[in-house]
Amino acid sequence: MDFTWSAELIEFRDELTQVIQQWRTPELLKEYRENHGAAGPLISEFQAELNRRGWSRMCWPEEYGGRALNPLYQFVYVETMEYWGMPYGNLTYTSVAPALLEHASEEQKKEYLPGIWEGRLRFAIGYSEPNAGSDLASLRTRAVRDGDDWIIQGQKIWTSGAEVATHVWLAARTDPDAPRHQGISMIIVPVDAPGVTVRPLWTMSGVRTNETFYDNVRVPYSNLVGPLNGGWTIIMHALNHERVGLSTTGNLAVHFDDAVRYLREHRPEALADPHVRRRLAEIKLELLKHRALAIRNAVTIAGGGIKPQEASMTKIHGSELRYSLSNSLMDLLGRYGGLSRETGELAPAEGSFERTWRASPILRFGGGANELQRTIIATRGLGMPR
Amino acid sequence: MNLDPSETQVLLRDTLRSFLANELPFDQVRACEKEGRADAELWGQLREHGWLATPFPSSLGGGGAGLVEAGLLVEELARRAAVVPIVEALSCGAALARCGGERGAELVRGLIEGAITPVPAVLESSDRFDAIAAEAAGDGSLRAEKYFVDYAGFATHHLVAARRGGETGLYLVDASHPAIKVEPHATIGRTPQAVVRYDAAPAERVAGEDGYDCLVQVARALCTVQIVASMQVSLDQTVAYTSVREQFGRPIGTFQAVQHHVANMATEVESVRLLAYEALDSLDRGSATAERIAIAKAAASRAVPEVTMLGHQLHGGQGYIEENDLYFFTLRGKDRSLAWGTADECLEIVAREIEKPTDWL
Repeated sequence: MDFTWSAELIEFRDELTQVIQQWRTPELLKEYRENHGAAGPLISEFQAELNRRGWSRMCWPEEYGGRALNPLYQFVYVETMEYWGMPYGNLTYTSVAPALLEHASEEQKKEYLPGIWEGRLRFAIGYSEPNAGSDLASLRTRAVRDGDDWIIQGQKIWTSGAEVATHVWLAARTDPDAPRHQGISMIIVPVDAPGVTVRPLWTMSGVRTNETFYDNVRVPYSNLVGPLNGGWTIIMHALNHERVGLSTTGNLAVHFDDAVRYLREHRPEALADPHVRRRLAEIKLELLKHRALAIRNAVTIAGGGIKPQEASMTKIHGSELRYSLSNSLMDLLGRYGGLSRETGELAPAEGSFERTWRASPILRFGGGANELQRTIIATRGLGMPR
Repeated sequence: MNLDPSETQVLLRDTLRSFLANELPFDQVRACEKEGRADAELWGQLREHGWLATPFPSSLGGGGAGLVEAGLLVEELARRAAVVPIVEALSCGAALARCGGERGAELVRGLIEGAITPVPAVLESSDRFDAIAAEAAGDGSLRAEKYFVDYAGFATHHLVAARRGGETGLYLVDASHPAIKVEPHATIGRTPQAVVRYDAAPAERVAGEDGYDCLVQVARALCTVQIVASMQVSLDQTVAYTSVREQFGRPIGTFQAVQHHVANMATEVESVRLLAYEALDSLDRGSATAERIAIAKAAASRAVPEVTMLGHQLHGGQGYIEENDLYFFTLRGKDRSLAWGTADECLEIVAREIEKPTDWL
């Protein structure tokens, strides 16, 4: 057993952190916030810097321009970016790209991968439908072959980022007569294809998601990724990767550090209170438990495997901690804890605790509800009967 | 970063596991509990097979492995609820090997060869690790009252934490000396424990403050592994039982209410196991901090009653009766959650250093 990071990884982290410090200006963070992940001018420049340093695809195989580095580099990359709240491609990078690398044809890889690492292509995820949430395999959006094209008819929901995406990573029913897990295919749909409509849905976190409508949308047959009717396996693969990206320690731990800094600077008498320090210690305990689970999962993936129960444990723990951590920090800060960013300087840590609290439901039910994750741990991880 | 045991570590673990499966029936544990004694026969076997030597340097006749390996042994023994002072003797040995100089090395050889079985005698009526009041007199005699001394009556020697000239150190006392009185306690863990009174007992200083710190940190980390074992067995037995126990015409393990309790148990076991072995690994590498070891112990102490009680909830009456082995792990787990620092004490350590920057990677 060896619970330490190699010197190379630490060196990489330190270099990345330095670059982030140079680029992490209030203007860039504002652009990230307001464009909801779209590449505005500053983010595009930052992305170009990451590309110039060869970081955005360092773990990809060499034939796709990568350096085939150990996937732990990607873990360190995502953790560090998430800690500092910087854009790095996010779900396109952590979920769609690994799925393409694993399942797409050579032509498709050549077509999409460069755009992903350059930050030109951004995917929105098109899995859920109004009547296919946790029971995803009941999805009904249809794709019918018409010569060299697909014709797509249906509706998706929670298509987050579709307003700034170039493509939707769409799960469609291609064989309505097959058993339901065996009649689904993955098809790449350009958002600007005629017949695609995006309607905003505003969440209580202040972040926008969407429903998307597909009205006789025509895309080339060659946009099919992986085998015809083989989409379910690809979705499961992508979801396991997605759960890693959704469960970093970094974007939770930054709240802890912000809280300690805020208390030291603005409320030193509170930070001296043993009761307050004790509550912070409890948060730290949970953060380090989460770190352990996240690293366990990353090391398994770096070793070439994936254990769904490990991804599920990490996802459950991280999403529940997102709530309990922000809740505790708000309680510690009293009425100050409820002040939003718009208040200005009086809001602790730019109101990030109350914002995270408002955003905490999403990861508990999104990305596969935690109830489903618990069932996965019990049945697939521990072999309990179904 | 490699979180799995190496081939050698797996071999070590599996060898002890199959040895215990053959040689240590749970009825032998029940007999020890009933008679309030340690398992002297098993302790002798562990020594004969060289397991006690495992974590010590080969220059001292040891196996040349580290505390991670010690943890694997402790875990296996705790999975069989063995009544032996493994954590106590190995943590004494670690403190003596690391901080005891020549005399310490000699004592470690004695532990390996069977001449001595030392156990720590640390806490006093205050029950605080940072409030040791016992004074070791300049003439080499010790007057003290030590509480919660595990395996006090079984040990040949006590490694007593005491002060001299403002420094807390470790003092070796021959447990058979007539100036020592051992009064057994009855405890939830049902393992031997006592209050020990030293009435001007001859005491030899064998280590200073660093030895005392080392003793506490190693014992705390190994105790965390005992807790991991309790949780793991409780989880394993619960998975097995709910997978076959039928109600309403189907195994109760098919009900999601049951599955989700079990998933919560498994998540706790997994995270605490990682923290426990990370703590031991850091001790082996010399990078350990009191804070991280305290985090591991606090996490374990918090988790174990929750996990084992869920185990009982899912076993119903079958797990409540002592004919079932489940109770060993529930009671031992709770006992260990209190030993070597409760969750509260450990969180206090974390709270003291709450402003220190953390490397979250």
